[in-house]
Amino acid sequence: MFFKNIIANFKKYSFLLQQLISRDFKVKYKRSVLGVLWSLLYPVLNMAVMALVFSNIFKFSTPGVNYLVYVLSGLIMFNYFSEASNLAMSSIVANFSLINKIYIPKYIFPLSKCLFVGINFLLTLIPLYIVIFATGTGINIYHLVLPYAYICLFMFTLGMGLILATISVFLRDMFYIYSIVLTLWTYLTPIMYDIAIIPAKFQLILKLNPMYHYIDFIRKIILYHQMPSAFTFAVCGISSVIFLVIGLVAFKKNQDKFIYYV
Amino acid sequence: MITVNNVSMRFNLGVEKNFSLKQFFIDILTHKKKEKSEFWALSDINFSVKKGEVVGFIGSNGAGKSTLLKIIAGVMKPTKGSVEIYGNICPMIELGAGFDMDLTARENIFLNGAVLGYSKEFLESKFDEIVEFSELKDFLDVPVRNFSSGMVARLAFSIATIVDPEILIVDEILSVGDIAFQQKSENKMRSMIGGGTTVLFVSHSIDQIKNLCDKVIWLDHGKIKQVGPAKEICDNYKESVLHS
Repeated sequence: MFFKNIIANFKKYSFLLQQLISRDFKVKYKRSVLGVLWSLLYPVLNMAVMALVFSNIFKFSTPGVNYLVYVLSGLIMFNYFSEASNLAMSSIVANFSLINKIYIPKYIFPLSKCLFVGINFLLTLIPLYIVIFATGTGINIYHLVLPYAYICLFMFTLGMGLILATISVFLRDMFYIYSIVLTLWTYLTPIMYDIAIIPAKFQLILKLNPMYHYIDFIRKIILYHQMPSAFTFAVCGISSVIFLVIGLVAFKKNQDKFIYYV
Repeated sequence: MITVNNVSMRFNLGVEKNFSLKQFFIDILTHKKKEKSEFWALSDINFSVKKGEVVGFIGSNGAGKSTLLKIIAGVMKPTKGSVEIYGNICPMIELGAGFDMDLTARENIFLNGAVLGYSKEFLESKFDEIVEFSELKDFLDVPVRNFSSGMVARLAFSIATIVDPEILIVDEILSVGDIAFQQKSENKMRSMIGGGTTVLFVSHSIDQIKNLCDKVIWLDHGKIKQVGPAKEICDNYKESVLHS
């Protein structure tokens, strides 16, 4: 019964979801000359800057594997997370004028943001594969398992987005706090450095970060041509489900109160 | 069709003030209890509406009319009591909610339609009708940002009234656009009302209420003051306003 309701509800609002996502796309690219090309260029340029700074100036290197692919694979995953969680966080407050007037299931706003950035993420896979081939890294059969990591990343991000959206309704300071947290998070995730350069006792702390495991998962496949271990599979799956459930529960419990904090 | 049982709505004015992290910690450190300045926007509202009835709500500003309509539309949950509804609702509480000023009129018809809960097929089949009614055929691909407020209102009205809902909730939207469009929109409302739709109607124009409604509910400071036939209640209301 409950499940049937969710399906019916979702069917009814899938058109709205689609409209919200296409709205975001139109608004994002309408006034730029290069338009949607930016989705492809942005991560590549970002990678170029990081590679320039970290491999030439700080002399970071990843023995045995290509540094460009190393950076770009971490970067697209983390960029997805940071952009989607940020947009999802502000989606409720930004749509207050709507929530205040018409009944719409509120989860639709963070969800639409995570999906919108998700489509962008899929576009960034194009430059990733171009770099994979251009650097001679090559692909392998395990690439078919990569969507598992992407789905885990999506669920984790949606969960975080729901938690952040809920908190930020009651505490607007969250927007500032989270931007600092996100900066810290970027450095605590091995995007441009190898976790091996960190002293062993701190590595454990870094490994508490789910983002590390999602990125580790895809790097195992893309760079080392290996199947990720069962442990990595489990950590990715479990952490993403836990965060999604926490997010859903926190959001559902508080959503009726949102309207008083306009 | 609609039954409202003992509905009360409390707003906590205290929490509406600028709540911040700093204040939060100060409150914790000083063990200060949050000042409870409660405000009952509605208390103990009971009424029911039969199918096809046109009910008007009158009362001064802040009497709780809009809050009541929002509760019936499902936007807010009442603090106490419950609302039972049979049939699909078209809440025309505020027109153009969800318009994106950067999008064109054409794109906004679909976006706003989706916000109001219409399906894609429905919108596609009614698209021409919406455009024709709004008289904005030549401006379809212009961003709404460049529209005058009257044009935006016309577009919004045309989208909102394209459905045949079983229950229609109208909050002060009859006066949009220029005089010609006002006339047109009032006729449209009349035809919707005449078609057997159940209507809940808020307006400050007593004449409109008198003309359109069967029954009137007079709200005063969140309580029902009087309920009865439109003419009688409207006259009572007018008299009380004039004599106060």
